[in-house]
Amino acid sequence: MAATVGGAVIPFRLRLRRREQGIVLAVAGLVLCVAALLPLVALAAELLSVGTDGLRLWAERRTWVLLGRSLLLSGVVTAVALAIGIPLGVLFGRTDVPGRHLAWLLHAFPMFLPPFLLALGWFHLFGRQGFLGGDATARVLFSEFGLIALLGLTFAPAVTSLVALGVLGVDPSLEEAARTTARPWRVATRILLPAAWPAVALAAVVVSALAFSELGVPMFLRVEVFQTAVFARLGGVDYAPGEAIALLLPLVPVSIALLGLEAWLAGRRSFEVLGMRVRSRLPLPLRRWRLPASIVCWLAALFSIAPVLSLAARAAWGGGFRAASQWLRLAPINGLIAATASACIILFVGVVVGHAVARRSRAARWFDALAVLAFVTPASVLGVGIIAVWNRTATQIVYGTLAILVVGFVARYSVVGVRVFASVVAQTPAHLEAAAAAAGVGYGRRLARIVLPLGARGAAFAWLLAFVFCLRDLETAVLYYPPGREPLTVRIFTLEANGPEPVVAALGVLHVGITATVAAVGFLLLRRKAPA
Amino acid sequence: MFETIRRHKILALTIGGGILLLVVLMLFGWIRARPAVVVYTSVDQVFSEPILRRFEGDSGICVRAVFDTEETKSTGVVNRLIAEAQSPQATVFWSGDPVRPFLLIERGMVEPYASPGARTIPEGFKDTAGTWTGLAARARVLLVNRQRLAGRPVPRSVRDLSDPLWKGEAAIANPLFGTTTMHVAAWFSTWGDDEAKRFMNALKENEVRIASSNGEVKRLVVAGEVVFGLTDTDDANEAVKESGAVEIVYPDQDLSTGQAGGMGTLIMPTTAVLIRGGPHPDLGRRLIDFLLSAEVERLMAETAAHMPLHPNVPTPDHVRWVGNIRTMAVDYAHVASEMERIQPWLRQWAGL
Repeated sequence: MAATVGGAVIPFRLRLRRREQGIVLAVAGLVLCVAALLPLVALAAELLSVGTDGLRLWAERRTWVLLGRSLLLSGVVTAVALAIGIPLGVLFGRTDVPGRHLAWLLHAFPMFLPPFLLALGWFHLFGRQGFLGGDATARVLFSEFGLIALLGLTFAPAVTSLVALGVLGVDPSLEEAARTTARPWRVATRILLPAAWPAVALAAVVVSALAFSELGVPMFLRVEVFQTAVFARLGGVDYAPGEAIALLLPLVPVSIALLGLEAWLAGRRSFEVLGMRVRSRLPLPLRRWRLPASIVCWLAALFSIAPVLSLAARAAWGGGFRAASQWLRLAPINGLIAATASACIILFVGVVVGHAVARRSRAARWFDALAVLAFVTPASVLGVGIIAVWNRTATQIVYGTLAILVVGFVARYSVVGVRVFASVVAQTPAHLEAAAAAAGVGYGRRLARIVLPLGARGAAFAWLLAFVFCLRDLETAVLYYPPGREPLTVRIFTLEANGPEPVVAALGVLHVGITATVAAVGFLLLRRKAPA
Repeated sequence: MFETIRRHKILALTIGGGILLLVVLMLFGWIRARPAVVVYTSVDQVFSEPILRRFEGDSGICVRAVFDTEETKSTGVVNRLIAEAQSPQATVFWSGDPVRPFLLIERGMVEPYASPGARTIPEGFKDTAGTWTGLAARARVLLVNRQRLAGRPVPRSVRDLSDPLWKGEAAIANPLFGTTTMHVAAWFSTWGDDEAKRFMNALKENEVRIASSNGEVKRLVVAGEVVFGLTDTDDANEAVKESGAVEIVYPDQDLSTGQAGGMGTLIMPTTAVLIRGGPHPDLGRRLIDFLLSAEVERLMAETAAHMPLHPNVPTPDHVRWVGNIRTMAVDYAHVASEMERIQPWLRQWAGL
């Protein structure tokens, strides 16, 4: 197997090495396309079968009002989450707040639960007969304000964690140089935060997409949103997937707008601040601000776990923990298997595509846009596409097993791996890879010996985040989980219908416990060792 | 640098582990080849799962179930059945109400099966050809929080939902989903379009709260967020267990208040249906035989407060006999067709 150029024979291995990056990117892209593009194509075919009938919905003023309302709500939720998450990210990531790692973990708890369970927890707290509730709190909770506050608090930990990761990735040399002349506040605002700006932009995209596609909490709080209109076409009596898809056409410009927003927030500046030094440095001393900052951090942590504590109290007082075992079956194991496998595949896609996106590969940008589109497409609609593609006699080994959950998770959450790793690579100096390439080092070795070691923390975080998203997923899994193999979130949701509240609460707490254990292990692995 | 390379190896091992897990998933697929009956059910999991486990224990046949969620009940699994029509995964559909099966019957997705257990089910609660057979039934009731009445009379009719006396203090579940859709369709079937639409619009003017589900209505009433709400007997009985402040009212039982006041309450038997083309139909028939037994009705009465349709099934005190209740005279097939017909109007009513 050899080709000739100008009479010289080029061995197959050399040709393969030249095309290595393209081949690996194609494999990662293929995984993404099989998981996400095929269902979207199936949906497009469904749309064509409806014809122009589906488009008449866009002639109705109400449709536009709902869309505008949802976009506005997701914008405000994003602003709230950023306002909470950015300062906390810096405080948890780089300052000397006492017990900041534990506080960070507690603050992250809302990320581990499906939002509807958190809403249930807040309801037990602030409903009319809640632990702290009354008429006024119930009125506030069941309003647009309640929805914004609840979703803002739910999604803020994602911002916090991404920003903390961003500031932790900054080369300590830059920070140490700044600390010789500037106060901690200026170091944080002039060095750390600007350097972590890609993480902030990513957080804004992730939160706005999550807030826009959220359905369970608005339904619980009786706030009308655009997703309810979509769901009414799929969950109503006159099953009309074509109309639901027609309603989703604006998601294409919304996805493009989100990518544009991220590009605008990140700008075209260089963020190559992730250096060769990976060992830790001393935290920024807050001095006289240490006490108030610590109070803020620990209050945020306590506020975040308040709904979980509320669920725990409900479970404990009703004997829910004792009764929970008979309702568990294999649900936790099903969820863990599917989430672990999915997170590994997402990490592979994320590393390859994310790296290429950060290095401005045109093909990778298409894959990136596909991942964003699949993320903002409501899970219920994506699920219709997945059923259409995979429910065939020849593919029962996928559709009838946990593999179908993996397909769905990869489709929906690949964006997490891609965007997290892209933001990490954006902080990595490109000249290191360029030097290696000039020395004849192939793509695989550059990835393995330069990109991954420098971005190891980011890769681990991407895996962890993808794992958490998959494990807490409800809306994707509930549509096509294999009979008898539901993950724990689905079991909690289906049991919620007339199930004993203490048991439902206990299962929710158990779910938090499982996720927190995995997160804590990841946390320990991610911690840098103290300098020798 | 050695540390980073070690981390890289750990990462590679993690990815390798993921691939191994996928192999495990394939093994799961192989295990799946073991004969099992797949049932989709919109009967609450908390009640249906113990019965399916009992069948497993008695027959030795493995049961794999898909349960519905409260928000979409019972339409969620029905729509999944429709979406999977080209390659049915389920063999049995145990519906929480008697009208959803008609959506499948219309599409030719049902295999008639006249189970021996259906012989003693009264006419009107089964199809003689065996396309559907009713069992353990629920009723639509008003759940009232006595503590929030504040001296006002106890609501006795569904018409009270539109009474200005209760403005902003009553709740129903979203009529686009679940048994509330069926109830609204029954109003259209009984009252006709004009009166039913007038009533629905009056609900809106009276600021009736639209909850996401019947379970949510129960939660609102128990929590005292509203004075009363329209829900199903199983939710209502759970509410009574949770709180001594609430009571169940079977609406429209009073003949003295005229035709509307005495129109009776809607009865909704759960129904068993055999899916055409589903795997292992022989096992599906055995499951249907079991579901239609008097023993299952007794269990459903005890655990879920469902009213038995078989004669002489012992019931707890709080479960009423269908014969002791004034019931709404409806044709379930007609209600099913009304339910589909009014959907566009209902979506408009709901602002969606």
